[in-house]
Amino acid sequence: MSNPKPSASFIQRLQNRFFAIPAVAEWWAGRFVRRVRSSADGPTPFAHLTKPLAECTVALITTGGVHLTSQPAFDMADPDGDATLREIPGDVALADLTITHDYYNHSSADRDLNVIFPLEQFRELAQRGVIGGVARRHFGLMGHIEGEHLRRLQEKTAPEIAAKLRADGVDFAFLTPA
Amino acid sequence: MGLVTREIEAAGIPTVAISLALEITQNVGVPRALFVKWPLGHPLGEANAPAQQRTILFESLRLLLTATEPGVIAEPGYRWRRQEYSEPVWGELEIVNGE
Repeated sequence: MSNPKPSASFIQRLQNRFFAIPAVAEWWAGRFVRRVRSSADGPTPFAHLTKPLAECTVALITTGGVHLTSQPAFDMADPDGDATLREIPGDVALADLTITHDYYNHSSADRDLNVIFPLEQFRELAQRGVIGGVARRHFGLMGHIEGEHLRRLQEKTAPEIAAKLRADGVDFAFLTPA
Repeated sequence: MGLVTREIEAAGIPTVAISLALEITQNVGVPRALFVKWPLGHPLGEANAPAQQRTILFESLRLLLTATEPGVIAEPGYRWRRQEYSEPVWGELEIVNGE
């Protein structure tokens, strides 16, 4: 988490504090809903676990902008966001991860990545035998995707994640927002 | 994030998502979500608060095991910074899991 990069602007930080207030976030969500609804039509899919939880492998997916310090950062210059994917190895050291995402205040997650990417916590659950284990790779995305990039997320990135989860024998996925 | 949960679930892999924005989650149609009315950037709670973080994982796993239809949103109602957490009783998951 020590990767130095230009910090978010003062205005952006101010905006992030404002949007951190739950009531403000809800108001924003109401505006956002109208745009995403059309891209998620049809019945909500539903799958079942096929084995006991203690034998299940979990993969983590976050839209909080988590990636390896050695990977390219998410594109913060594009106002429509960045719909590309960052693969995170299951045996990664948390010190090799960082967050690129100017649209929320991630100071808590910078101090303790488990706040948004609870890989250490899931490793501990695997040791306790609550779950079977953590997957060989996890996925970092950047939320705040709009316009053309929303189509890329839907048509390319999301199916790619699903295919990789299947290839890795993942039994369930745990997702966290920014 | 909702779009991604739907795509994974459609591929036959169950998902459980944390939600910090109830209205979006309801409208996107997320298969299973645990909603916490907390500030953005804190889906599992506060930094260096392992009992709080594990409580959220426990509630998520319970939802994964108990949900019987798509679109379930569990709302445990934890208050931000005004809630005390203790270590979850993990054995309860084995009971709901029918082991």
